[in-house]
Parts: sequence; C-alpha cells; structure tokens
Amino acid sequence: MTRRALLFFAAATIALIFGSSTARAEHDCEVPAEMLQVSVKLPHLAARLRAKEPVNIVAIGGASTTGTAAGSPDLAYPHRLQLALAKFFPDVPITVVNKGVPRQSTRQMVGRFATDVIPEDPILVVWETGISDAVRGIEVDDFTSALQAGIDEVKNRAIDILLMDMQFSRSTATVIDFERYLTALHRVADLNEVYVFPRYEMMRYWSEQNMFNFDEVAADERARLAARVYDCIGRKLAQAIKLAVQ
Amino acid sequence: MPEPSTTRDLRLDFFRGLALIFIFVDHIPENILSYFTLEAFGFFDAAEVFIFISGFTAALVYGRRLVEKGVIYATAQVLRRAWQLYVAHVFLFVIFIAEVSYTVTTFKNPMYNEEMRVADFLDEPHVAVIQALLLQFQPTFLDILPLYILMLVIFPVVLIGMQRHPLLVLLPSVALYIVVQIFGISVPAYPEGHVWYFNPLAWQFLFVSAALLGHARTRGQTQLPFKRVLYPAAAVIFAAAFLIKLSWTIHGVWDAFPGLFLKQLWPINKNNLSPLRLVPFYALVVLVALRVPREARFLRTAAARPLLLCGQQSLEIFCLGIVLSALAHFILTEYGDGVGMQLAANAVGIAVMFLTAAMIAWYKMVDRTPVIRAAPASGRASDGIAE
Repeated sequence: MTRRALLFFAAATIALIFGSSTARAEHDCEVPAEMLQVSVKLPHLAARLRAKEPVNIVAIGGASTTGTAAGSPDLAYPHRLQLALAKFFPDVPITVVNKGVPRQSTRQMVGRFATDVIPEDPILVVWETGISDAVRGIEVDDFTSALQAGIDEVKNRAIDILLMDMQFSRSTATVIDFERYLTALHRVADLNEVYVFPRYEMMRYWSEQNMFNFDEVAADERARLAARVYDCIGRKLAQAIKLAVQ
Repeated sequence: MPEPSTTRDLRLDFFRGLALIFIFVDHIPENILSYFTLEAFGFFDAAEVFIFISGFTAALVYGRRLVEKGVIYATAQVLRRAWQLYVAHVFLFVIFIAEVSYTVTTFKNPMYNEEMRVADFLDEPHVAVIQALLLQFQPTFLDILPLYILMLVIFPVVLIGMQRHPLLVLLPSVALYIVVQIFGISVPAYPEGHVWYFNPLAWQFLFVSAALLGHARTRGQTQLPFKRVLYPAAAVIFAAAFLIKLSWTIHGVWDAFPGLFLKQLWPINKNNLSPLRLVPFYALVVLVALRVPREARFLRTAAARPLLLCGQQSLEIFCLGIVLSALAHFILTEYGDGVGMQLAANAVGIAVMFLTAAMIAWYKMVDRTPVIRAAPASGRASDGIAE
C-alpha cells in the first residue's frame, strides 16, 4: 500500500486546495505523474529488448484480463498493451498472450502457472489478481501465501514479473472490502521487490474525474466505454514497462 | 475509600467505549483516522479489547448472580443476553442484505459483471438466510457477533467450571488454543470454502482467560501477582511490538522508512489469534492494570463521560458503529473522500454514537427509576455493568 497511501495523501491535499471537481483531465487516459513512478526494474525483459530478440509476455488474470466486457479479445488490455509496446519498441517483435480465466482465486491461478504460463516461454509475466479473493472473502493469509508462491515460481525461472491490482468501481467499492487485499498485495510485492501497476488507484482517479461514467450511458454504449478503459490500462501499463526497462 | 468490589470499575467501560470507537473508525476503509487507532501500532486491534472486556465483565456480572441466585438463574440470564446479541446480529444482516441487493440491482458497469459475485447468495436466498440465522453466513463486518454469541452460549459451563476450580476451565481452553495453533483447525462457514473469520476454537481462549481474571476479581483478588517480574516483562514486550508495528505503518506510507522484521513476522494471523497478537495484547492488559488505577481521576472527567456511556451500552453502540461505518464508506465513495470529508464523516459518526449512548442511558435510567425508589439504591451500583 506504499505508494497508494502517499498518493492518497497527495491527491487529498490537492483536492482540498483546489476543490475536487474543477480540474477535469483533458485526455482520456491522463493520470497524475505520481501514479506512473516505477522504481523497480525488469532486468530480463530489458536484456531481451536490448538484444532486439523476440519478446513473449503472458498476461494471466481474471475476467478483466479476458476483457469480455468490451466484447472481443482484441479490445482487452493485454492486446492493447501489445499495440502500445510495439510503438515504443518498433524493431522488436512483441507478443502478449492473454491467459485470463474469470472468477479464479489467486491460489487457483498459481495452479495454472505450470500449464498456461511457463510453456509460453515468457520473459515477463503480468499477473492481474486479487478481485476474486476480495469478493469471496478468502483469508488474507492464504491470499498472501498464494501470491508468494506465484512470484517465487516465476522468479526462480529467471522470468520477470509484475502485478496488477484490482479494478475500481464506486458501487463495488462500497460492498466489497478491498482494502485488506490491496494492502496485502502491495506489501507482498514490496517484500519481493516486484512492481505493482496501480490499476485501482488509476481507475479511482478516472472515476473521480468522471472520465468513464457507466451510469449515464445507454446499455449498448457501455461495452465501448469498457473498451476505452481497457485501452487506457494497456497504454499506461506499456508506459510503466518502458520506465522499468530504461 | 469505597469497597472495591461493589463500585463499578469505570476502566472497563472506558476502554470498551474506546474500542467501539476504534472499531467504527477501522471499519471505514482507507480512513485517515485509522492511523491513530490500536491497529496502527499494536499487533492486535480493538477486537481483542472488545472480546477481553466482554469475557471479564461476563464473569463479574454472572459470577455474582450464580453465587447469589444459583445456576439456573445465572444460566437464564446469560442466555437472555445471548438472545439479545442474536437479534442484533439478525438486524445487522438485514441491513447488509438491503445494501448489497440495492447495489447489485442498480449496478451498470459491465467490467465487473463477471466478478461482482458478492451477491451470489441472492441466487439462493432460501439457503443464505437460513445460513445467516444459523450464524454460518458471516459477510464482512458480521463476523464478531457470532463469536460473541457462541462464547455466551457456552459460558454457563465455563461459569460452573470456574466455581469448582479455575484449572478445570483453563486447561481445556489452553489445550484447544494450542491445538489450533499447531494444526490450524478452522470452523467451516457458508458459502462452501469459507471459515469463521474469528475462529471460535482459538478466540475462546481470550474470552475464557478474561473470564478467569474476572472470576479472580470476584474472589477478592484485585492485585496482580508477581508484579516485579510481570511489569518489566510486559513493558518490554509491548514496547517491542509497538515499535515494530509502528515501523510497518510508517513504511506503508513512506517507502524509504524500513519496516522492522517485516519479512520475518508479517502477516500476523488474525483468524486464529496468533500468539504474536495475544502476547502483546496481554502485555498491554498488564500495563493498564498496573498503571491505570481504578480511581484514576481522568475517568471522572467530563471528557471521559461519552466514552463511558458508549462502553456501558456496548451492544447497541457496537451495532450502530457497524451501520455507521458502512454508511460513511458509502458516502465517502459516492461524494468524494478528501481529508476534510473523511474527518467530517468520522466526527459525525462518533458524535452520533455518543448521542445515542447518552439517549439509551437516559431511557434505561427512566425505566429504572421506580425500581430504585422501591429498593435501596446502594446495592445496585455494579449491577448495571453491561456485559
């Protein structure tokens, strides 16, 4: 929860000084600079990119990785990430493989690493997790030990890993207790020196800026809106990865 | 000086009141004020305080009734209290259902449709409601009352055992606690795969050991034994835990600050009441018992009064705190959660808790007035300790 808490204080102070709703972001995906600070490196990926060898990335996660809400896998964040990375590194072939399966706990995802992740020969694993654990109220200790097991399994094979935390939506936040799981996820990452892409914080910022409002649009418009959110996440993640290999 | 055993121990009311405020504050996610509760600098939190004081006062109140009026009378009294807690639990459950079903049916964000399964139980309400009535369905924040209810249901046995010999109760309780720590046994709950958040097999030890201390008090033992060893040991243990946890809290906000022993000690298991929580908590109990005398002047000040009132109406204020924290969370996520808004939500919530406690105290006083006129008032002074 390290950066999250700091950001939170910073954002709260700014909101107090300027009044919260006046500053509306100009671009769709804009986030405050602090949300894209990356202090952890991805050494194996960096080496691959420097050598201009083909890069395989596996995105493992839940329903927000499969991207069903947007209507097609091409609109899910992993594919958007691939497109954005291709722009940053035009002379390296980069593939992002989507291994999302809805409604799995962190422990269940770890069980898929051997069959879904490792055989793809990735140099980077993007692990999006925590939602199902929070929704189902899985014991936090079990959640943290599953995270640790997954991180170890990947790191021991000289593969880089980064985590992506939960999605934010105002209405879910009121009925699901995410805080304990967010804190645990960020702390495990901190102890293992693993980068966490702060999706929760970003989506909350977008929600506060009223950039994606699902309540005021027609039902068929919502899929398009979801696709735009996924696109933003893919692009922001590409930026974070770029920072981590510099 | 008044006879210690007949005057109310205001420390119990005060610290329980404080624990109830902390529970309210800690239950609002990402609340800035939660950096100033027990959770921020203790390996334990207000839950331990609540269960400990509940066990202690239960032994005081029902122990006396057992001696004065016999087993059946005391058992009936305990069970009536358990019934009140059960009704409160069902009341909280109804509010939870209202909140979740409202949110789910008005939910329009497709990005969460697949994962928004908190409301799975709405697919089978016939099962979910029965499971809630059986205390097996414990959604967030509805987990501590089932523990408390279960503790009271077994309490008559504890009470009778204590009267025979404290060891009759202590030994099985310790044994069970140790077995849970070694083998990690937990109690299954609904839906499948869930367990009781507060594992009663482990947490019973805190309740029972507190009851034993309360029992010792009723037997006239008001002084802690082995003070010379106990006091420095407790001070060292509490200070060490305090510094370590504080470093974690600061590390959480400010990366560069090191979290002491974070890798070795974290996470500290709450479900099974890890010894890492229990031992520093008892260290704090010893420190408070020795350093805060019953007659401490601050307990009689106007500033302490609202907390005393909350502690005296603990069941009502606990339930109110749970409802208010859910409400505050809703308001903060819907209408902005700047520091100003957060402080306002905390202040309003705590004020509502204080006023409600004062109101309930007033109702109780009014209800009692004819009784006090009929009987001499002096003997009833400690009867009012809410357990």
